[in-house]
Amino acid sequence: MTTPTQYYSLLQLQEALRDLVAAYPMVQNVWIVAELSDVNERGGHCYMELLQKDPATGQNLAKARATIWSNNWRRIRAEFMHATGQPFAAGLKVMVCVSAGYHPVYGMNLNITAVNTSFTLGERERRRREILERLKREGVIDCNKQLEFPRPTQRIAVITSATAAGYGDFRNQLLLNDSRLRFDVKLFPAIVQGAQTAPSVIAALDTIAAEMDKWDCVCIIRGGGASTDLDGFDDYALAANVAQFPLPVIVGIGHERDTTVLDYIACQRVKTPTAAAEFLLGLGDRELAELQTLASAILQNVSDTLAGAREQLSYLAGKLPAAPGQAIANAGKRLDRAALALSGISASRIQPLRARLDRVADAIGAATAARTQKAAMQLDKFSALIDALSPQATLRRGFSISRINGAALTDPSQAPAGSTIETILANGTIKSIVS
Amino acid sequence: MTPVNELTYTEAVGELEKILAYLQSDKCDIDKLTACTRRASELLKECRTRLTATDEELRQILATLQNQ
Repeated sequence: MTTPTQYYSLLQLQEALRDLVAAYPMVQNVWIVAELSDVNERGGHCYMELLQKDPATGQNLAKARATIWSNNWRRIRAEFMHATGQPFAAGLKVMVCVSAGYHPVYGMNLNITAVNTSFTLGERERRRREILERLKREGVIDCNKQLEFPRPTQRIAVITSATAAGYGDFRNQLLLNDSRLRFDVKLFPAIVQGAQTAPSVIAALDTIAAEMDKWDCVCIIRGGGASTDLDGFDDYALAANVAQFPLPVIVGIGHERDTTVLDYIACQRVKTPTAAAEFLLGLGDRELAELQTLASAILQNVSDTLAGAREQLSYLAGKLPAAPGQAIANAGKRLDRAALALSGISASRIQPLRARLDRVADAIGAATAARTQKAAMQLDKFSALIDALSPQATLRRGFSISRINGAALTDPSQAPAGSTIETILANGTIKSIVS
Repeated sequence: MTPVNELTYTEAVGELEKILAYLQSDKCDIDKLTACTRRASELLKECRTRLTATDEELRQILATLQNQ
């Protein structure tokens, strides 16, 4: 093989490529859309990889190194944070203005000079909408929202990073509350920033689900640290898990202005971990207030009933002294009425009876008189007969009765000579001696 | 009657509501007033006990929080 007489040094080639790239208008100052990866800041400059993934497989279709030099980075970083509420960080889909440059040593690099923040905002919205629409299609979007917080809600499973400042605040606030409400709080650690967010939080949810009898609700919280991003929460799998989680989920991620897709599907959304604690304290205070209301109402009703009974008693006590007199008067009235009624009855019923009695009496009188008269007449007749037959009458007709020693003399042998006999005449007695 | 500590919180509150409804009704019997009131106060005490922590529990909570 012969050695070519014409050749370039590597530098010459690289410089040629550099010039070629620099002179090609299609790769200078053009807007491209890409996903950020491996974003890191060194020496005031920002280095990253730009990716384009296959939506179906997730595999890289294109990849390029990119840089934002410090003169642009300070401005872009602040603008991006201000407009999107989150840092310029890995996982984001961005629209950036790039110029391709080829460096003889470092090779191809895309120099980013501007970032379109509206695209990122819109992109995030679009992703959220997509996730929410899918959950809606699957009929699970409102599942967790329809759950009710158990009464009482005291056993709180918390998903957050163990090192997150938000967790300490949450715990302190919950456990040291003014109402002395009792809470049982347990941490289920998870990564709550970056690409590992969704799988890590899902794993924590699975752990809780395995012992769901022990818990009343789940709090997914994260203090809104400024250097972290929230996009990890905008994940379909995580959203689907939360939506279908059997316990009510409270989501308190980040600061006031941050929202994630979880905010639309969780049973309760709050702004911050502190607000999540306040919400739980509110539930407890409502329970206490309800108990107080019940207690007051029961006390009031018992007092009212007792007061009513006492009133009734005193009314009865007042009535009682007058009652016997009243009863006697009433009884008297009843008697009067009875008497009146009876007299009515005598008029109507005794009168005829009396008349009948009168008639009977008359009849008896008449009958008696007749019988008496007849008897008298008979007696008169007997009297005359008796008179006619009496010894006196016989004596008057000249007969006499002789007696000896008180006995009637009927035979001469009864009177021997010398004995004294008595002769009874009508008008006197003669004593004579028998000769 | 079920001892109050065997009731769930919701059952206990439900029974309190029933007692109140009974007291508010004209069926309320003065002879049952004492029993009703006693039961209500037991239920209330149980519910409050479950909601709030005792001094001892608060001390323990403070101790664990300070140890962190």
